[in-house]
Amino acid sequence: MSATIKERKLTIARAMAEAMAQEMRLDPRVFVMGEDIGQLGGVFGNTRGLHEEFGSARIRDTPISETAFIGAAVGAASDGMRPIVELMFVDFFGVCMDAIYNLMAKNTYFSGGKVSVPMVLMASTGAGYSDAGQHSQCLYGTFAHLPGMKVVVPSNAYDAKGLMTAAIRDDNPVIYLFHKSLQGMGWLGTEKGATVAVPEEPYTVEIGKAKTVREGSDVSIVSLGAGVHHALRAAQQLEQQGVSAEVVDLRSLVPLDRKHVIASVRKTGRLIVVDEDYHSFGVSGEIIASVVEHDIGMLKARPQRVAFPDIPIPFTPPMEQWALPCAAKIVAAYQNLKNEE
Amino acid sequence: MSNSILIPADLWEGDAEAVITSWLVSDGAEVGQGDLVAEIMSEKAQFEIEAPASGVLKILEEEDAVVAKGATIGLVE
Repeated sequence: MSATIKERKLTIARAMAEAMAQEMRLDPRVFVMGEDIGQLGGVFGNTRGLHEEFGSARIRDTPISETAFIGAAVGAASDGMRPIVELMFVDFFGVCMDAIYNLMAKNTYFSGGKVSVPMVLMASTGAGYSDAGQHSQCLYGTFAHLPGMKVVVPSNAYDAKGLMTAAIRDDNPVIYLFHKSLQGMGWLGTEKGATVAVPEEPYTVEIGKAKTVREGSDVSIVSLGAGVHHALRAAQQLEQQGVSAEVVDLRSLVPLDRKHVIASVRKTGRLIVVDEDYHSFGVSGEIIASVVEHDIGMLKARPQRVAFPDIPIPFTPPMEQWALPCAAKIVAAYQNLKNEE
Repeated sequence: MSNSILIPADLWEGDAEAVITSWLVSDGAEVGQGDLVAEIMSEKAQFEIEAPASGVLKILEEEDAVVAKGATIGLVE
């Protein structure tokens, strides 16, 4: 028998649930609210086991009324509780945006710092399984654009647990966006790279810190969430062409770790941003602007972006897949960039 | 000694097949009896598969494999 290693991998769904359970054991102020998050365990599996352990008082199924339960969470947080609420699909933000943006994000400012709103708003993002334009968006840029809230986007189970623990312990409102294809639920299309080894004890991943997930010297591919896995596949393909690609996982959008991105581009001189959110007015533009504003002389070529085109997300699979970022588009972006040099 | 990791024959009603959505332990790694080792999904319900014994995991059916009730998906040796 060869030497064996004891290990334990988790899906992002399980990692999120474990972080919530551990914080609930430590802190009686933490509770969870949302649609189908109780006995069902969440439609994306991220609250499984919580209702069984903590019961209906702390794991609260709500009616389909996002305005009411997110508003209630803001009130509870302002009064000393630490709620975690789930907006099942980020696409449903429209009806409850007043509670999110005029109450959750701004109450600390409006009260002159006397009231803090320590809550976590988690929401699913992402396309790829034909759920149409009102269940498939990322809207990373929409939330990151609005001041007053932190925004995190994990790409794997280790970061998912650490960012959830950090978000629950944070005294500010945190938007926690998890991509459906990373959850380990088969019907959503499962990304294998997201299921990784996760320590059993509680730990935090600092909000606002990016991570280089693959070292390289010829080009920096900067992404977040599911895009990180497309970028890693593209980096493997580029390696076969003799190109050394570095992959940076942003992990947080607010605060944005501009220093980390700039340091990577300083090393490679080339930048491709991969974002499943819409092309215009979003994350990809902000990353490129951050680099160019800092020092345009670092770039050996025009930066490239691989993002979702500025169209509502199609339902029909061939059209949806045509529009989504993928490894082949990232490799093509690198060829564009090299052809111009 | 070898113990088969089976999809229980009574895990869900009907004859629908399931897909292995995740192996939560790598092939060749050590597992303890009762450890969660895999997740499978039948239609829209997800099920947990536990190790029947302690030992070293041998994966027989990879992720994305379609499996029926009663199938052997791995061994603990």
